[in-house]
Amino acid sequence: MNRGIWRLVARRDFWVRIRERSFVISTLINLAVISTIIMIRAVGGGGDGEASYRIGVVSDGGDEDRIAALADVVPGVRARVLSFSGEDAARAAVAAGHVDGALIDQSLVVDEVAPAQLVQLAQLAVAAEQQDVILDRYQVTSQDRDVLRSGPRLKVESLQPGDPNRSQNEAIAFVGMILLYGQLFGYGVWVASGVLEEKSSRVVEILLAAMRARQLMAGKIVGIGLLGLAQLVFIGGFAIALALVTGAIDLPGSAASIALLDVGYFVLAFAFYASLFAVAGALVSRMEELQNVLVPVNLVIIVSFFISISALSNPDSPLVRVASILPTSSALAMPVRIVVGVALWWEVALSVVLSIASTLLLIPLAGRAYAGAVLRTGGRVKLREAWRAHA
Amino acid sequence: MLELIGLSRRFGDVVALDDVSFNVPEGELVGFVGRNGSGKTTTMRITLGVLDAHAGEVRWRGEPADAGARRRFGYMPEERGLYPRMRVHEQLVYLARLHGVDHAEAGRRATELFETLEVDAKPTDRVESLSLGNQQRVQLAAALVHEPVLLVLDEPFSGLDPTGVDVLAGVLARQAKERGVPVVFSSHQLELVERLCDRVVLIERGHVLAQGPIDELRASRMQNLLRIEVAGADERWFDVLPGVQLERALARGVVLELTDGADTQRVLDLARQQGEVLHFSKVQPTLSELFREVVQA
Repeated sequence: MNRGIWRLVARRDFWVRIRERSFVISTLINLAVISTIIMIRAVGGGGDGEASYRIGVVSDGGDEDRIAALADVVPGVRARVLSFSGEDAARAAVAAGHVDGALIDQSLVVDEVAPAQLVQLAQLAVAAEQQDVILDRYQVTSQDRDVLRSGPRLKVESLQPGDPNRSQNEAIAFVGMILLYGQLFGYGVWVASGVLEEKSSRVVEILLAAMRARQLMAGKIVGIGLLGLAQLVFIGGFAIALALVTGAIDLPGSAASIALLDVGYFVLAFAFYASLFAVAGALVSRMEELQNVLVPVNLVIIVSFFISISALSNPDSPLVRVASILPTSSALAMPVRIVVGVALWWEVALSVVLSIASTLLLIPLAGRAYAGAVLRTGGRVKLREAWRAHA
Repeated sequence: MLELIGLSRRFGDVVALDDVSFNVPEGELVGFVGRNGSGKTTTMRITLGVLDAHAGEVRWRGEPADAGARRRFGYMPEERGLYPRMRVHEQLVYLARLHGVDHAEAGRRATELFETLEVDAKPTDRVESLSLGNQQRVQLAAALVHEPVLLVLDEPFSGLDPTGVDVLAGVLARQAKERGVPVVFSSHQLELVERLCDRVVLIERGHVLAQGPIDELRASRMQNLLRIEVAGADERWFDVLPGVQLERALARGVVLELTDGADTQRVLDLARQQGEVLHFSKVQPTLSELFREVVQA
């Protein structure tokens, strides 16, 4: 008769919290952090892994044309040439960081360390100057010179071709993982403190007169989970839009699919963790005690997070593979492995199945512990007592 | 009518309730009396379905009380509680909706209760910002907002000032007499129970020791006691009468116990010969006396 009552609970938890100052602040902080990361990347120059250098030259030396002509000969390098009136001006520009290096009298002047690609480019420019002298001597036509300069390019053939977008996707996956970690943690704690709020204010007894403990727990998890999901989607959408506008990324398609992946895994992981957080909240009676009961759950999430960070550099290590399948850590580790393309289809399927199965197994167990603990005010309730209280 | 039939409940090895049975008829106020830890709260929680019984049954209007029936019950737990940071009106609407009232109707009733209970607050105030007295009124409103078909209140009078007691007593009486709602409440204030209730249930260590209409309980325990005050009489003026014994001496006057068919009127005649009779009445045991007697037995 009142089977849908959990929806009322979910609606309250959603709408009460969305108006809370802490929600607004956490959204703003998230947006600020994400924006900062994106802006740094945008200023750092594009997402396609091509290096771009500004090179200063002293005008009328002929270097200007040569460098411009050579720029597309060196693979993965883009050059912008800036002319200066004299040697001093060029050196000053290097010191001030206006250019990455200056070519002066066949020497490359840099501020600290010269990037290899810049050296390569400068070397070619210097060599070209030498060649010009010799070519002039034999009066080689300009057509032949062009053939010589832009002539047959070196082809690179790789036996294991990597995804050219890998670094960009990795970056997006990394940001997604950090977001997901924050959401899991933050909204899990919100579930726990929401349960505790009802317990410590004793309103829970009135609520339990209108519904079963399990319905109350389910409603709270759904309400807070939906809020976390809404915030994740909002922040993710904002991040992708900002990244596209600023040019920090240029792959809207893969960014969107990574975002979808994260959203899907958030739902799975939140469903898994939320009932644990709910039980933790039901075990204690005061806010100060909450941190202590949360330690085991928090620890598992933090360990999962660090394993997942290692997945970025080493996505196929045995530890990362196991972590990406277990429901405790799959949400953080698996998206990274999928994005870099090492996850096998059965691993993905297994992680999803395990996550759903363990959640379905956990909910009745957690529901019983929650029901046994939530009416016991006073000190901290032991898990075993809570389990037995309901019998 | 609410019927509790053979309720039993243990907590670990502790037996909290053992075969508790009593009824709360339509339109009656039933006082639920017992010492702390005697099982009142457990009984009420089982009635509301907050706690499960290990044996026995709660019946409502002749049927086993299911979730649907219980949803229409009204409950005020001993441990008062509302969401401290939720706005008053919004909170009442939410609680009404949990009990199956639709949104518009819930809003109307919340507003109405604000007036009838004279809650001195704005509907948008947060509960934590209200004075204690107003919080208690909102708590009562929370129990009434879905127009319950049964009211179960755990120590509703504790912590109320005399005005609050009167307001609550009036509300409960109206619920019972005007809306015909069965009302059961627990209280340690036995004078209050005596004044308000039609029936009383007396519980001790999980057992119902006595129950029934207060007058009947009294009559069943009524000894033939007279309280007499005579100005200027001898201390033992009644000794000459057969079958009359001193039950206890009061600061002014005495309480006499009449046995073996001793005649009340002869006692009065003798008293009048002793001097001016200032007081002469049959002594009815108060609920407190009944309570002590039953609990000590």
